[in-house]
Amino acid sequence: MSSFLDARALPKDTVLTPDLAIIGGGPAGISLALHLADSGLNILLLESGGMTFAPPTQSLYQGSETGVSYVPLESGRLRYLGGSTNHWGGWCRPLDEIDFESRDWVPHSGWPFARKEIEPYFARAQELVEAGPWVYDAADSAVSDSGPVIKLGEGGVYTSWFQFSKTRNGVLPTHFGERYQADLKRAAHVTTLLNANVTGIRVSHDAGQVDHLDVATLSGNRFTVKPRHAVLAAGAIECARILLASDDVMKSGVGNGNDLVGRFFADHPIPRNVATLVLFDGRCAPFYSNFLTLPNGAVMRAGLSPRAQFLKSHGVVGSLTTIENEVKLDPFATAAVETTAEALGIDASRGRAFSLGCGMELLPDPERRLTLSGERDALGMPRLNLAMTITDDDFARFRVTLAELGRQLLAAKTGMIHLSYSTRAEWLKAMDWGNHHLGTTRMHDDPKRGVVDADSKVHGVGNLYVAGSSVFPTYGSSNPTMNLVALTLRLGDHLKKVMA
Amino acid sequence: MRRRGLLGGMVAAALVAAGGAAWRFHLFGPHYPPTPYDDLLNQIADREPARVFGGAALKTMPGTNAAGLAGMLRGQGTLAAAAASDPAKDRVTEVSGWVVPKSVARYAALAALV
Repeated sequence: MSSFLDARALPKDTVLTPDLAIIGGGPAGISLALHLADSGLNILLLESGGMTFAPPTQSLYQGSETGVSYVPLESGRLRYLGGSTNHWGGWCRPLDEIDFESRDWVPHSGWPFARKEIEPYFARAQELVEAGPWVYDAADSAVSDSGPVIKLGEGGVYTSWFQFSKTRNGVLPTHFGERYQADLKRAAHVTTLLNANVTGIRVSHDAGQVDHLDVATLSGNRFTVKPRHAVLAAGAIECARILLASDDVMKSGVGNGNDLVGRFFADHPIPRNVATLVLFDGRCAPFYSNFLTLPNGAVMRAGLSPRAQFLKSHGVVGSLTTIENEVKLDPFATAAVETTAEALGIDASRGRAFSLGCGMELLPDPERRLTLSGERDALGMPRLNLAMTITDDDFARFRVTLAELGRQLLAAKTGMIHLSYSTRAEWLKAMDWGNHHLGTTRMHDDPKRGVVDADSKVHGVGNLYVAGSSVFPTYGSSNPTMNLVALTLRLGDHLKKVMA
Repeated sequence: MRRRGLLGGMVAAALVAAGGAAWRFHLFGPHYPPTPYDDLLNQIADREPARVFGGAALKTMPGTNAAGLAGMLRGQGTLAAAAASDPAKDRVTEVSGWVVPKSVARYAALAALV
């Protein structure tokens, strides 16, 4: 079988028997299907949506929320082929080595392996997200013609570099569905089934194997998929929902024998205008606030990140601080700048001020979790409730990094910084979110501490895997897409071995 | 012509000398009433912004008085030297959200107190 099919047109009670069923046609699912396209395995890629946005399908994502205000569950992701790459910003950066480490100041931290385990997959992942040649932190020497990096005194913060999935017609980064539609159609052993919603993972009586998947369409069609292996690649929110809702044999849900599925939900908080940066000489290279295209085609933007050593010495977690818009200083701020610059012997008469944005990593929190609610969607699936949390400690740790940036600016006599928020109410008022859903099927060797093992296999279920950022136990400040693609390619190689 | 040139040169020299004196002795800068702390405060060319900022800095130093603050500052060298070295020694503080060298906050607080 090959090409694209519409699940609404399948005969009722059809039973499909692929070698591998991939649940979800986002970046993870598409990357995995393409990676295994030449493996000889018959692959069925099940996508809930079609090729474009459709409100009835999107509404399947609706859910409720409690706790800290968060993005509505149907708003931060997209349910059609390509998934949330249909609205992503294209930011890419590999996770840092320390993001994988177990850290005594970060409870529940530690991947089952070091970064080197997924490094071999970064190059291909970079190709798939179309982020150009691998440059990242080697950019400092490549951008000298465009202006200097901000001079900072010795310390914990440095200029870090992100790359971007290339814009298409000057507007959008790579949309996986649109971009790889033709590749999927060409793949002889890959069938993409559109409008196919997996409503349940049915396991054997001993819960040790996936027996089949229940699949439904909004048009009322229902059918069965009996794969040899299945990979759940539906995003961190929907993966948890499908596992929790599959409760006919395991009453707490598939893979949830230790009550971990749906816990540790995470995202990057991106509170706005977290600080004001003053540069005494007024010179801010454009690559701090805009794209810079290098001669080799890489599209770059600089930010300010904490070094691993600083994370360790100050007990903080990952963050990215970005320079946004030029702002005017009020009289008190002007007095602060004049007083400080004069004491440092610096002429700040041409100084300029800029607002700073950020992306923060949250400390892992088992109480930040998804659970099934009493509501049901149009397919009869239980909806989710998200209990969202963010602690004062999360804000305080990021503030330590901002203050370090301020100290380094002063040490270099480059500029100074004003921290905008000090109370929880101030932070929450400025809050926005990156819509980077993570952590709900976290990876750990110990089934009591993780839903999947180091191979992304669900603990205790022999033929069920999870692909995507839901397996990330911690995640630094790097955007997840390129990293989750790399991790998915690693899973693909594992599947080639176990399914050979 | 020669005499006119000589006179012009003398005028120019006088203007340069006057300008230098004005700069050296702050003849055209702000003037402040004498205080017991002028050895410190004279290191701040324009005390007005320092007073504005120092008012906020004082709030981070409860119980501080001018004499005590001055005693502390006299023991730490010049403002310029202290402000330059404080950040590298991790001696920074936060005043109404602004991260500044501790010496700058203290000098500004003194300016606000007198």
